[in-house]
Amino acid sequence: MNEELTQTCRLVMVAIHSFIDNEIEDSAQFNAIAFHLQECEPCAIRTEIERKQINLLRNLLTRSCVEVAPDDLEDRIVVEIHALAARMQVPGFFQSAFYERSIQPTSRIISQYRKTEIFIDGETTIEIEESHEIHREFPL
Amino acid sequence: MVVRGNPVEASASTTTLANNQSKDGQSFGELVVVDREKESINERTARFERDALEFKNQLYSAALRYTRNPHDAQDLLQDTYAKAFISFHQFEPGTNLKAWLYRVLTTTFINNYRKGQRRPQVRDSELEDWELFEAASHTSHLGKSAEVEALENLPDFDIKRALQSIPEEFRMAVYLVDVEGFAYKEAAEIIGIPTGTIMSRLHRGRKLLRELLSEYARDLGYGTGLSGEKSSGEKSSAEKKKSGTTLDGQVKR
Repeated sequence: MNEELTQTCRLVMVAIHSFIDNEIEDSAQFNAIAFHLQECEPCAIRTEIERKQINLLRNLLTRSCVEVAPDDLEDRIVVEIHALAARMQVPGFFQSAFYERSIQPTSRIISQYRKTEIFIDGETTIEIEESHEIHREFPL
Repeated sequence: MVVRGNPVEASASTTTLANNQSKDGQSFGELVVVDREKESINERTARFERDALEFKNQLYSAALRYTRNPHDAQDLLQDTYAKAFISFHQFEPGTNLKAWLYRVLTTTFINNYRKGQRRPQVRDSELEDWELFEAASHTSHLGKSAEVEALENLPDFDIKRALQSIPEEFRMAVYLVDVEGFAYKEAAEIIGIPTGTIMSRLHRGRKLLRELLSEYARDLGYGTGLSGEKSSGEKSSAEKKKSGTTLDGQVKR
């Protein structure tokens, strides 16, 4: 079967998980894959097998990963929250070293885009260049 | 990359970036102060108990998969709720609380529970083209009804065992996307890694899980009746060949 694969087939297979997960954001790429799957039976078959596999795996995992937190754990959590709430009432808590130490450090991944609008003969083309993702620390 | 007819999405991203930048540092701190003064600590405590504790079973399930033992999972959950409560004034009401709590859980786990344990052994190189291609095309022996049935009959214990034996980085990615249903971007934010990395970890994790589960199913004697001695022999030699390729590929990189 491998000999029959074209370069397009390869490109489609590389992106197939993202395609199945509905995570392809570039509409041109999405359309190209959808179009190829209509044209190429082997790729369409592989995609369906892959989709079934992913669904099966998801079902197995969701089925087996359901756990219930013990009651006494919830009790302990509530007790701790109330104790923390009492500490918060004390003036200066939000300036304390304990607070600084305990606060959740957060960061967000930001995608940077460069958008270029090109006007040619009255038609507008928009070019989006997605550069690297940057990591920035700040509170959520 | 040229995208046509997508100007809305593009400008939305630009706006997000601008918003994020303005939230940096001092200005965001002031915003928080305003928020905090509107709500008394008692009110916030009640809101936290009402909204956040609802996720305790889900978070506990994740904690168990992360830590792989009930004792650490319970400690992790308690720490997570304490941290989340202390930081709760920073949480913007109306945004995704579940994702926020997962982020607290995951950060707490990475920072406090992984120390002394295994360090990441996984390199986050982008998945090579040929590797994914191989993963996707090497499905000829999968998807048969007998094997599907065998996998469906696997006890929960085996599924958990498989999940526990794959590397932590893969496990977290698979858990967040396939069990919790987070989008790639959300999962990436929760772990604090780029989206491309979550993608490759997820795909590798799925591949490893599939291989393990098929192995367990075969060990239990499922599915062997149909494939027969000869074809299963062929299969294993094909797998050997495949893993040889993988090794070569890794050495080259």
